[in-house]
Amino acid sequence: MKKIKVALVGQPNVGKSSIINSITDAKLHVGNFAGVTVEKKEVLVKKGDYEIDIVDLPGIYSLNAYTPEEHVAKKYLLEEDYDLIINVVDANVLQRNLIFTMQLLDMNKKMILVVNMIDEVEKNGGKIDADKLSSLLGIPVILTSAKENRGVDEIIDKVIEVYNLPKPKRKIFYNEKIEEEIVKLSNILMKSPHFNDKEESRFFIIRLLEKDEDIYKIVHDLPIFLELHEELGESIKKLKLEFDEESVADIFTDERNSLAKSIVMQVMILPQKESLTDKIDKILIHPIFGLPIFLFFMWLLFQLTFQVGSIPMEYIDQTVTNFAQWLKMILPKGDLNSVITDGVIPAVGAIIMFLPNILILFLGINLLEQTGYMARAAFLLDGFLKKFGLQGKAFIPLVSGFGCTVPAYMAARTLKNPKDRLITMLVLGFMNCSARLPVYVLFIAAFFPAHNAGNVLFVIYISGAILGLVVAKILRIVLFKGEPEPFVMEMPPYRFPSVKALLMELWIKAKIFIKKAGTFIAGAAMIVWFLSSYPTDDSLKTEYIKKIEVAANEDEKKALRNELAAKELESSYLGMFGKAIEPIFSPLGFDWRLSVATISGLAAKEVIVSTLATLYAVGEADEHSTTLINKLRENIDFKTAIALIVIIMIYSPCIAAMSTFYAEVPQWAWRAFYTIYPNVLAWTLAFIVYRVLSLFGM
Amino acid sequence: MKSIVQMKIGEEAVIKKIKAKEPVKSRLTAMGVAKGNRLKLLDYTLKKQTWEVDVEGTRVALRKEEAESILID
Repeated sequence: MKKIKVALVGQPNVGKSSIINSITDAKLHVGNFAGVTVEKKEVLVKKGDYEIDIVDLPGIYSLNAYTPEEHVAKKYLLEEDYDLIINVVDANVLQRNLIFTMQLLDMNKKMILVVNMIDEVEKNGGKIDADKLSSLLGIPVILTSAKENRGVDEIIDKVIEVYNLPKPKRKIFYNEKIEEEIVKLSNILMKSPHFNDKEESRFFIIRLLEKDEDIYKIVHDLPIFLELHEELGESIKKLKLEFDEESVADIFTDERNSLAKSIVMQVMILPQKESLTDKIDKILIHPIFGLPIFLFFMWLLFQLTFQVGSIPMEYIDQTVTNFAQWLKMILPKGDLNSVITDGVIPAVGAIIMFLPNILILFLGINLLEQTGYMARAAFLLDGFLKKFGLQGKAFIPLVSGFGCTVPAYMAARTLKNPKDRLITMLVLGFMNCSARLPVYVLFIAAFFPAHNAGNVLFVIYISGAILGLVVAKILRIVLFKGEPEPFVMEMPPYRFPSVKALLMELWIKAKIFIKKAGTFIAGAAMIVWFLSSYPTDDSLKTEYIKKIEVAANEDEKKALRNELAAKELESSYLGMFGKAIEPIFSPLGFDWRLSVATISGLAAKEVIVSTLATLYAVGEADEHSTTLINKLRENIDFKTAIALIVIIMIYSPCIAAMSTFYAEVPQWAWRAFYTIYPNVLAWTLAFIVYRVLSLFGM
Repeated sequence: MKSIVQMKIGEEAVIKKIKAKEPVKSRLTAMGVAKGNRLKLLDYTLKKQTWEVDVEGTRVALRKEEAESILID
């Protein structure tokens, strides 16, 4: 069996994924490109004697890569070993796509051009002459419509055919004067033993003339570089003068643009302009109604995510608890039993519980993305978010943060600019997630009159959001000082989403989430469990068991059991840790119990409530427990309570969220910064609030 | 030469020059906003902070700063 490796490449929004999904009898594999969190889709097709391995590269507008995804695609094209390229283009905007096609043709690899969405062009009376296009470009051309499943399987036959043919002769040439310089320079490059392919050195020279830094780095270390560098400078100067342009890259852009224009003119009958998108845009990005419509969609999305998502959540929770209990019965007693049933299973259950939320949110985001509405939302909101150093698309992750920070971090993937994405992710934690709600409810009930509860809660949520925006602004000014914030975004036409593609995406997301975050989160949750359960003090336990046995009545027994739980937690590693760090929290008026509760909130914010309940020896309690509320009033004063609320608003999110951040951001420096700064900020602000309140004598 | 922020909605013109610096310039040209192409101003937001243009069939959204760097006759 012969193996053929194919790189599938094209600009964003050309329907590459739907082509991959439409190939019959194809096996899909999903992973990551080495070292980065960019999704890598690979399709395996067996046909006759051949096994064809198609790698779907991230969408790339041009070889002058800009986003991390584009760099991954470019790196793959330049450095990996593959037999041929399939370049997918959108028939509707053939001219723009051909500019990139010509950059690919410069590489002089075996290549097939797939003109997708031909149905949309023909529906509006347009036509493309594939044979003529093929003879002009010198590569095979296939017209396809993934939607109508037209031409897609032809691609595989063509791949085998092209694989067995010799490389075709180049058909695209630039202006004579440019070609002259290219030949001159590539002759110098050919003197180096590293280059023996004329076409390859031609490609390198073109990229060097365009000042491509990636290529520059490759050539830089060759002995020939000194000679080449000088001549290159001469040629660039000469060409700039000749064409009266600021850079040679501009000359090439111009050349490719004119070539693309003339090719389109020769091969294509342009369709009647479809006006559906214009009509929809008249409403959806209306200067006045656009925003309310958008807000309605968002409201709907989050209602679905957190209301519908919570239905299976309770079911999953119940199932996992039942399973753990069942397992506890059948496994032999001991540490192993405890690790599995109290540690591993609840931890894994806690992950799977997030899955319905994540899937619904992602289905929604995907739908917004595939229909083309996401770009409109970004368009509407960019003006506002720009003021805070963020960009339009940041809205989705930011608002998701009010639900759960975990899917919000993943939603930040829609931001293609790495700086925008990082800043957004760094302030996401300030959007109060729903798990913090029980803690707020408890403290508001304990320290504020009931009629003000709603207002206080509102103030907490709003100040979190404002703080997030302000911090974003500061981060932008301090960390990315003086760097431009370009915002150039394609607004794709509105399209009906393909159900198959949506489901496929969803399946992939679910798999990635369970696999990657699962290992992170399960591990982290187990550590917290361990710290709060060990070391065990047997003498304490036997002492209390005796006490409970001789207790007079049920109430007394219960009180003793609660006392035991409190003492056990106090003597656990987590309790020791809480006591050790008490000095850090004492300026805020915290005792060791509050310190431990705060730390335990890192496992999950709801845990703060149950930890406080255990530490104040009221046993199992939720945020509405009057016993707990009374205990808090007895032990904590008002300003301490406020300081605690401030801490919870700002300090690190739960371990699940932090693990997701680490998984999404590979740089250790940013991971470290992210781990430290919210806690410093939280403490500082809590301290200020505490001091100010005590000045007022509260 | 004037920039596209001086155009009216619905007006068309041919792009003469892109003043933007790299990498924004490459980004613009990759989306079709390049010298010699026909551009139509489609829309802008209430405060004229974000602009939408159509270039040879591609709709592109830009910020005011980038829009100001696109020059027409």
